[in-house]
Amino acid sequence: MSGQFAAAGKVAIAGYAHSMIERHAARPLGALAADTARAAIADAGIGPRDIDGIVTAALFPTAGAHAAQDGVAVVTADWMAGQLAALGAEPGYVCGFQGIGQMPGAVAIAVNAIAAGAADYVLLYRALHNPPGSYHANPMRQAAGDLQWTAPAGFFGPLAMIALPYNEYLQRYGATREEMAAVLVEARKNGARLPWSYWHKRPLTAQEYLAAPMLADPVGRLDCDLPVDGVAAFILTSADRARDLPNKPVYVAGYASGRQPRRRLPLHWPLDDIMGAGTQLATDLWKHTGIGPGQVDLPQVYDGFSPFAWFWLEVLGLCPPGEAHRFVASGGIDSDDPAAIPALSSGGALGNGRMHGVPQMLESYLQLSGRAGQRQRARAAVAVACQSSPHYGGAVMYTAERT
Amino acid sequence: MSESRPVPVPDELSAPYWAAAARHELAIARCSRCGSLVIPPGQACPQCGSTDPQYAYKTMSGQGIVRSWTVIRQSFLPGFDVPFLLVDVELAEQPELRIIGRLLDGPDAPVRIGAPVTVAFERVADDVSVPAFTLAVDTA
Repeated sequence: MSGQFAAAGKVAIAGYAHSMIERHAARPLGALAADTARAAIADAGIGPRDIDGIVTAALFPTAGAHAAQDGVAVVTADWMAGQLAALGAEPGYVCGFQGIGQMPGAVAIAVNAIAAGAADYVLLYRALHNPPGSYHANPMRQAAGDLQWTAPAGFFGPLAMIALPYNEYLQRYGATREEMAAVLVEARKNGARLPWSYWHKRPLTAQEYLAAPMLADPVGRLDCDLPVDGVAAFILTSADRARDLPNKPVYVAGYASGRQPRRRLPLHWPLDDIMGAGTQLATDLWKHTGIGPGQVDLPQVYDGFSPFAWFWLEVLGLCPPGEAHRFVASGGIDSDDPAAIPALSSGGALGNGRMHGVPQMLESYLQLSGRAGQRQRARAAVAVACQSSPHYGGAVMYTAERT
Repeated sequence: MSESRPVPVPDELSAPYWAAAARHELAIARCSRCGSLVIPPGQACPQCGSTDPQYAYKTMSGQGIVRSWTVIRQSFLPGFDVPFLLVDVELAEQPELRIIGRLLDGPDAPVRIGAPVTVAFERVADDVSVPAFTLAVDTA
């Protein structure tokens, strides 16, 4: 990357749809995804035949032994292309993002395709599934390949993964789980206001958070987002085309992704790796977009595990390093305080369910397009949607006006 | 516990590591091009980029310090009694040379960041042992 993003303001979100988020949907994920995609196409004021690009990230983020059956546990872009073909679409650009930071990664692919003229109207979606039984349990008797270095010692799965840097943070900065309660209370307060959220009308108290069982100290049950069935879909097109569509366009100003850190054991994410690469990601984003952190009205931090909210606040420069725990606990991200930074106004993953980076992107879109209803904020010109760990994930900046 | 823990499946790159562990020695791959120690060894050296690192395994002192830890209270793998404690250890031989293993002093062990540890081994099957750690005498 050199200099500013050449496609800044040239691609826009023109519409969206979101399914209900449920613990287990009554219908197969593929059916839910196809219906949500059709609803997004209609919302954007176009028809299925207009769709010539399909982009998703199909990762099924389980450490368990579940089969990733297409249309059931995952919905690949190819699967969706087959569905839309029945409605007359002939998408020529069908593509999946394979990395971590699925929403920013998929958005980047879609934006690049539109800016390059490879597709005019891209359907971008994310479908997430909660399989029957334990999400991460794995009956493996033998550990081969990369897992041989970790599983025989009992280091396995994402809870242990996040527990180590979370504890590093607590020990280094004297932070506490009592302070972390403020992240959960804020996420669930905002999630409780969303009709599609699994946690609709179900806010959380700090006492309830602290009383939940510990799983991998300092990670408790409520530090983890809840696995769910859910789908979100967005329609992206060129800014010029979006101008003639019914919804107010929201523009993509640029994006950045984490720089791969040094080779480590699988799922070994030391705190310094996360923060070092994350700080570089944010530096890239400001440089890429020409917009700095002070101009962002809605920095939407990722929170699939609660400590990520602290990590993102710090790498984005919204509070000093080592201070996020105090910043949040003292009301710094209270979405009801006009003087605070509404960093979890999306409800996040903790307040919606395991929708990966969907809540952050959706909140950016809804607020900047003026479609947030009763939750509409007065100041909503620039948003940043983050996902995953700052060192592996990504962030996309959106603007209400063309940059 | 009646179920057995997952046992490692050695491959071409890792076979010397597991053979050393079976002898209760911690041996780490060393790139023959640049001399850096690598965990885990991959097809290319992460330090110098050589695609022909010709790893040679070097026996470690077994000394290290705790960089972080967690107490696992719900295991997703068979064969582990919970709770147990995992430590993220930086080995003495090279900065940021980090390995994760069980701390055999029990889940309530007085662990802290920077605590010195010594490698130990858990036998998980015939001729198969897995590196772990115990707290060393803390002189800090």
